[in-house]
Amino acid sequence: MTHHDLVSMLVVAQLAAPAAALVGIGLPALFGRPLPEEATRRSVAAGFALGFLAATATLALIAARGWRAEIVNVGTWFAIGHHEHTINLVADPLSTPYVCFSTGLCWLVNAFAGKYLHREPGFTRFFVLLAVFGTGMNLMVLADSIDVLFVGWECLGISSALLIGFFHERRNAIDAAVRAYTTYRVCDVGLLVAGVVVHRAVGSGAFERLFTTDWPDGTCLLPPATAQIVALLLVFAALGKTAQVPFSAWLPRAMEGPTPSSAIFYGALSIHAGAYVLLRCGPLLDEAPLARGALLVIGAGSALHAAVVGRVQTDLKSLLAYASMAQASLILVEIGLGWRLIPLVHVVSHAVLRSLQILRSPSALHDRHELEAALGGPLSAGGPGLIGLLPERWQARLYRIALDRGFEEMAVGRFVVAPVLAALRWAAGLEDAWIAWLARERGRGPR
Amino acid sequence: MNAAASSVVLLAAVAVAVPLGGAAVIATGACDRRLRQAAVATMVVALLAAGGVTAAWHLAGGRAITWGDRLVGGSLVAVDGLTTLLMPYAACVSLAIVLAAPRQVLDAAGVARTLVGTGATLAMFATSHPFAILALWLVTAAVTWISTRATPGGRGAARVFAIAMTTATAAMTAGTCLLVSDPPWERASGPLGIAGGWLVAVAVMIRKGIVPFHSWYPALFGGAPMSVSLAATMPQVAAYSAVRLLIGHVDHAEGLAPELEFLSNVALVTAVYGAALALVQRELRGFIGFLAMSQSALVLAGLSGTLPLELSGALCVWISSGLSLTGIGLVTWALESRAGPIRLDSPQGRFWDAPTLAAFFLLFGLAGSGLPGTLSFVADDLIVSGSLDEKLYGGLLVTASTVLSGIAVMRCWFFVFGGPTALDGPRHAILPRERLALSALLLGLFGLGLFPGPLVRAIEQAAEQLLHPASASAGFPAPVPSSVVPQEFAPP
Repeated sequence: MTHHDLVSMLVVAQLAAPAAALVGIGLPALFGRPLPEEATRRSVAAGFALGFLAATATLALIAARGWRAEIVNVGTWFAIGHHEHTINLVADPLSTPYVCFSTGLCWLVNAFAGKYLHREPGFTRFFVLLAVFGTGMNLMVLADSIDVLFVGWECLGISSALLIGFFHERRNAIDAAVRAYTTYRVCDVGLLVAGVVVHRAVGSGAFERLFTTDWPDGTCLLPPATAQIVALLLVFAALGKTAQVPFSAWLPRAMEGPTPSSAIFYGALSIHAGAYVLLRCGPLLDEAPLARGALLVIGAGSALHAAVVGRVQTDLKSLLAYASMAQASLILVEIGLGWRLIPLVHVVSHAVLRSLQILRSPSALHDRHELEAALGGPLSAGGPGLIGLLPERWQARLYRIALDRGFEEMAVGRFVVAPVLAALRWAAGLEDAWIAWLARERGRGPR
Repeated sequence: MNAAASSVVLLAAVAVAVPLGGAAVIATGACDRRLRQAAVATMVVALLAAGGVTAAWHLAGGRAITWGDRLVGGSLVAVDGLTTLLMPYAACVSLAIVLAAPRQVLDAAGVARTLVGTGATLAMFATSHPFAILALWLVTAAVTWISTRATPGGRGAARVFAIAMTTATAAMTAGTCLLVSDPPWERASGPLGIAGGWLVAVAVMIRKGIVPFHSWYPALFGGAPMSVSLAATMPQVAAYSAVRLLIGHVDHAEGLAPELEFLSNVALVTAVYGAALALVQRELRGFIGFLAMSQSALVLAGLSGTLPLELSGALCVWISSGLSLTGIGLVTWALESRAGPIRLDSPQGRFWDAPTLAAFFLLFGLAGSGLPGTLSFVADDLIVSGSLDEKLYGGLLVTASTVLSGIAVMRCWFFVFGGPTALDGPRHAILPRERLALSALLLGLFGLGLFPGPLVRAIEQAAEQLLHPASASAGFPAPVPSSVVPQEFAPP
């Protein structure tokens, strides 16, 4: 067995392990025979553990060969004429450590959730969705083509929305899930159209046709104009999952989901999915000053927005959501500046810290009391910060703006969502009236 | 005709005759005690025969087989790539319907009509003769109308359907007569033929529920039994008629006929409009009606294209949307049979009532809106890529339609199954036959999505035969003219 064969096998195992866990617990549940809690948790844990071990072994193998990228061609999914979908995966200095980190984190959260959701009616559903997420995340990270990346990206969006609406008995959870999914879906257009543009430009979605795969030093192989368009589309796609203004309103509401999923999605992995895609396609951004400028402006603006709004939040999970958003925005700024390693380190360190904070958030008061008991007195309230340096009148205005979450949600709701929904309801009312008239039905008219 | 071709024609005849024979037997009342078993057995045989047509045709070399083409240029029996795709698909949908139908709505007359409709649909998919298509168009519409009218509370929907279908059939009849009166009708270029083409295009628009002739779609889903609505809309006989009478004879390399260009544009608008209205529906059946209308329009938009990719995407959407919408329809039917009509103006809290049906509904819904790993992902990819290759605005409208469909499905799922519910309330377990029908459809969607190679090759073959009819009888592959390859594509 050659070095390449071994790496290929391990890379496929990183995908197959969580996917097998998904099938193992999903199929019995679909056929009305869900596994017991412990078996469910252990199956998913085994999937993540095997994925983690395979990723660690891959890391050692590629490190031993001087961090040279290994491209694994699993096969052609389907092809029509020049339009070909190949399943290409890559093990390189970006993807392999990232899989170690993401699968390891999923494994830890899986252990936490087993206890946290004990005897919860949706126990199996949670673990099915966690396995979907883990499989999708590995697929997205290991992807060596924009087609495979899109598949993983979609899995993230669907599992995220369904976990936000996990407690679907509550109206707030339903609204938050639909809001998040709508945002994802709108922004996914960027990735979808980018894929089509790439196929048109080079006849394939493989990254090796777009840029050289020696991360972090790749060079773009596309003409500058095409690179600019593709990069702008990727930036647009990233805005939704990274919760950037004006697509950020879903994030604080996403905390309606169970704490373990909030930690793994909005503290650690999903919130950084956009950043990962932009890091992977960094060479395209190098040739796209407009896209990098957009990242700088939107990232800086969103960071400022999150920092200001986050300071007035009255519940811990919303506060943590805005803190996540601020850090994710700064990571986008770093990518916009053309950096590679610093944003990657930032992603990993932020994800570890934030997921820990979110996982501990239900016990925050208990933790505080323990600390105070240990210190023998109350904890300090913290300094006034930069805002304290502003004149008092400005502080009051800023406070008002922060309370209204920067008017972002109100503006999007009033000027985009409400008019669209009103127009659709008006059209639906006319449809009803027209059908009633045709059917000669009395009492059925406009809504 | 050689032995292989004869076996294909024989199997096609069996696939058509079995449902018709089954309907005749059931209508006599001989199977009243074992109605479902009789209907299912009939459809299983029809499905096997339809699958046999596909297998035998490919084994015979994949060349178009025609028989009886002496009268006005059409072929009474025509089996090509499209036929071999659609016959098993239509039989599969009908089988799922009779298998999952709730017991309280099963009656001999209704089942017989469903089987007659299936037989007529299968017959239509095996002919390219304009008058045979016209006759079968009429039969399928009549079956739907009679079944809807016989349903308590269905007279309003039957009336809307009758208005639409009378107009469509009149246009179809006049259009077909004008087309064949301008020989050679396949390439009608005289004033009569052009007028005939436009009239057929109008008939197709009405039958496919294209804006502004779409009102019968939500009306039928709202007032007819789910079996009737699904059987009337999922096979998409109007799309097939458009292929045989308008699309299949155009030399696409020379550009689109004006009526096809028009059809394509209004279908694109309909796809977006239907998906958008599905977002704000207050009743589950209205949601399914508008979603089905959107997907149906997407098929027509793709079929009117000039690129193999776009045409292949349309054929793929035809099958994937049919399977997923049939699944959604059957789940809805099962839910309604347990607890009545479902509204969408507030969360209905049905999850703990029927958690397995909730899972199926979600999977079918997502599988109809591009879930990775399902056939609809492949279909969406092909049709979006093909449409963007053909014209930018077309691609963007197709993309908008898929985005809106996805949002509508997710909203609908949360509003049907989310909401307050009593955890200790009665649960309605899914029945084995429902599980079997839904699992088989789901298996088809996921199986063909994960391993789409053979289906995509068959679809590509069918698309090539439609784009280059002359090559259809010469077998596959047909040469792709350079004009249909995007100029930007530089082969590696």
